[in-house]
Amino acid sequence: MNYKNKIWSKIWRNLIIWIAIIFAVFPILFIIGTSFNPANSINTTQIFPGNPTLENYKSLIVGENNTFLIWVWNTLKISFLTAGISVFLCSLAAYSFSRFRFKGRRMGLLTILLVQMFPQTLGITAIFLIMTWFNDKIPFIGLNTHAGLILVYLGGAIGMNTWLMKGYFDSIPKSLEEAAYVDGATSFKAFRAIILPLARPILVVIFIIQFIGTYSEYMIASTLLKGDKMYTLAVGLRLFVGQHYDDRWGPFAAAGVLGSIIVIVIFYSLQDLIFSGLTGGAIKE
Amino acid sequence: MEKKFRKYILKISIFAMVDALVLFFCIMFILNDDIIISSIIFVVTILLNWLGFSKKSYPLRYLLPGLTFMIAMVVVPIGYNVYISFTNYSTGHIVSKDQAIKNFMNREYFPENGKKYDYIAYGTPESLKYLLLHSENDEDTLVDMEGNVLDFNEIKHSYDDSGFPGNIDNFYVLDQKEIFKNIKELQNLKITYLNGWLRLGTLREFYYYIPQYTYDSKKDILIDNKTEKIYRVKNAQFVSDDGEMLDPGWTEVIGFQNYIRLLTTEKYRKPFFSVFLWTIEWSVLTVFFSFVIGLGLALLLNDPKIKMRKFYRSLLILPYAMPAFISLLIWRYGFYNSDFGLFNKILNSMFNITIPWLNSPGWARFSVILTNVWLTFPYMMLVSLGALQAVPGNLLEAARIDGANGFQRFRKITFPLIMISIAPLLIGSFATTFNNFTVIWLLTEGNPITGIGNVSGATDILISYAYKLAFIGKAGNELGLSSAVAVVIFLIIVTISVLSFRRTKVLEEVADEL
Repeated sequence: MNYKNKIWSKIWRNLIIWIAIIFAVFPILFIIGTSFNPANSINTTQIFPGNPTLENYKSLIVGENNTFLIWVWNTLKISFLTAGISVFLCSLAAYSFSRFRFKGRRMGLLTILLVQMFPQTLGITAIFLIMTWFNDKIPFIGLNTHAGLILVYLGGAIGMNTWLMKGYFDSIPKSLEEAAYVDGATSFKAFRAIILPLARPILVVIFIIQFIGTYSEYMIASTLLKGDKMYTLAVGLRLFVGQHYDDRWGPFAAAGVLGSIIVIVIFYSLQDLIFSGLTGGAIKE
Repeated sequence: MEKKFRKYILKISIFAMVDALVLFFCIMFILNDDIIISSIIFVVTILLNWLGFSKKSYPLRYLLPGLTFMIAMVVVPIGYNVYISFTNYSTGHIVSKDQAIKNFMNREYFPENGKKYDYIAYGTPESLKYLLLHSENDEDTLVDMEGNVLDFNEIKHSYDDSGFPGNIDNFYVLDQKEIFKNIKELQNLKITYLNGWLRLGTLREFYYYIPQYTYDSKKDILIDNKTEKIYRVKNAQFVSDDGEMLDPGWTEVIGFQNYIRLLTTEKYRKPFFSVFLWTIEWSVLTVFFSFVIGLGLALLLNDPKIKMRKFYRSLLILPYAMPAFISLLIWRYGFYNSDFGLFNKILNSMFNITIPWLNSPGWARFSVILTNVWLTFPYMMLVSLGALQAVPGNLLEAARIDGANGFQRFRKITFPLIMISIAPLLIGSFATTFNNFTVIWLLTEGNPITGIGNVSGATDILISYAYKLAFIGKAGNELGLSSAVAVVIFLIIVTISVLSFRRTKVLEEVADEL
């Protein structure tokens, strides 16, 4: 009786897990299958195509849909710069908060803590108007420029990331730096030669989380960017499939597969690091 | 010592060079009438110099670069948004009052029996130089291409047999073809003349236009010179006594009008409250279901007897690992599409039914929640797994020996323990879902519309409603109203933040440190 119970419990446990796995994975299998379909039309799509072809992929890379490559390039460029610069700026700010005692430190910390609570997208109307104003005065960071978009992203990235990094820096013992100071190092030298190497894990986590977050950002990019050549992948793909989903379904599927791969690979290769960052409170969309 | 000195010299020279450059730019901007930008640059440079040379500023050197971005791109926009919510900023009310008046001052009309001038153009085939305007009753007028009236006698000219000068300042009369080649230049020409100005009316003639409006700054009224109608200021617009409104109006601070409009006028009250309720519904249901599913799976996977746990986990987090915008588009077009979508194809072939997944209000709401649960349950599973690891095994073992069954152990020990670390994350998730524009926008754009003339749709959440009011308005862009909605969201988030602060006690941590 007990033995039988155990078998049953094992079976239903596995059954539930497998149902959940199918629920989780199905859309991805579906899009992979679709991307190898010979027909463009959404109507004749088969999940497991009888005669798989690379036509859809070809059309994205060398064919008529190759603006896709521009979108990928734009997205990678913007995400990489945003993540890199924000890690740099945040590590500086976090170091200052963690190691120096100065007037206004508490106010600064409180401000950062409060500001990171509010999604930047709440100010989207104002951001749009500010960028329009930039457009007149300093055109190279105005509307419809990647530099402008990166500036906006950087602003949104500082609060949360600085806060997380400061927590990590606090956990690094001060005795190492003190030794360096005795040897005559400046505080910047101590920061560069001691803190940064020791803080590598958090720098990587924040870089990755920021990279993935920027890669997938839709709202701000779609508000600020206009024109085929300027789009990021999120904005471009939506418009690409939006009006012509019935005859662009195949290329879209291929684009979806290619556009996901890079993020999925990063995610899986660093999953343990990212999860430790997640439970630390770094929730990003 | 010498090395230090050399470094110092280098520093001073770099600062000096940058400062000189900035000064140059400042002057350029001032000459360009950009006082604001010039003063911003000026203040920033002074700040930078102070940072570079004051000992006191040392910590700020590290802080300021990051903080500047944060303030410029988060704090300022949110503050500006709050300000806009107290103005009437909207289509037709975008410029300042001065700009609006300037706009009216530039409007013109051509009176009946107004003066017309034909012209002779002088220049080279490449460009025009002078125009000689001629009308029957007036003396001839000579103008250059900047619109200045010139004294005919001061410029060298010679007459030919027609009675008109054939040559002015060594430029010859241009023929029709040469004039048309440079017609753009003529069309842009505006010559101030008497009370009005001369502009090209037809291709062959300049007309004497008269300003249509006169602004009386004392009485703050606008007078139409043509009809002699008087327009008075009303609701940031010039309005005549018989109700005719002139565009453009201007922006002005209107106090709480937007909020009052949102809460009391029929047109906005109903959509606002239904959107508001749905936003809460959507956040609560999403977080609830994805937490229940995530926790359930975490409990199953936490059992060390299950083989391949890591493999299962890797498969289950796929929805979280994939960029959301791609999976959302797959759900929208691949699954939910009522004609070609996979769901309806399967349902149609098996049971011969079609479901309007995204086209009927009820189904659309169900669909967006379903997809969002799919997107977020892996996150819940991961944080639950993390929290479960921290539950001490001996506690559970003791309860088991005391005779508590599995469900009792979960309810009395595991669940309360993991909630300590998960509750703040749930609140965070709630806040994120509350403002998850991307999911709603990529799946439905807030549609389907529930009534004729409604801006909001059945699946619109507050932030997408605000976005629509600002950017997609069918009857114009209501930026002021949209900002008011954003401020409402802002207040809700403040409340949520206070709640979560209380739980995590982060604030005390900050306070303790000093």
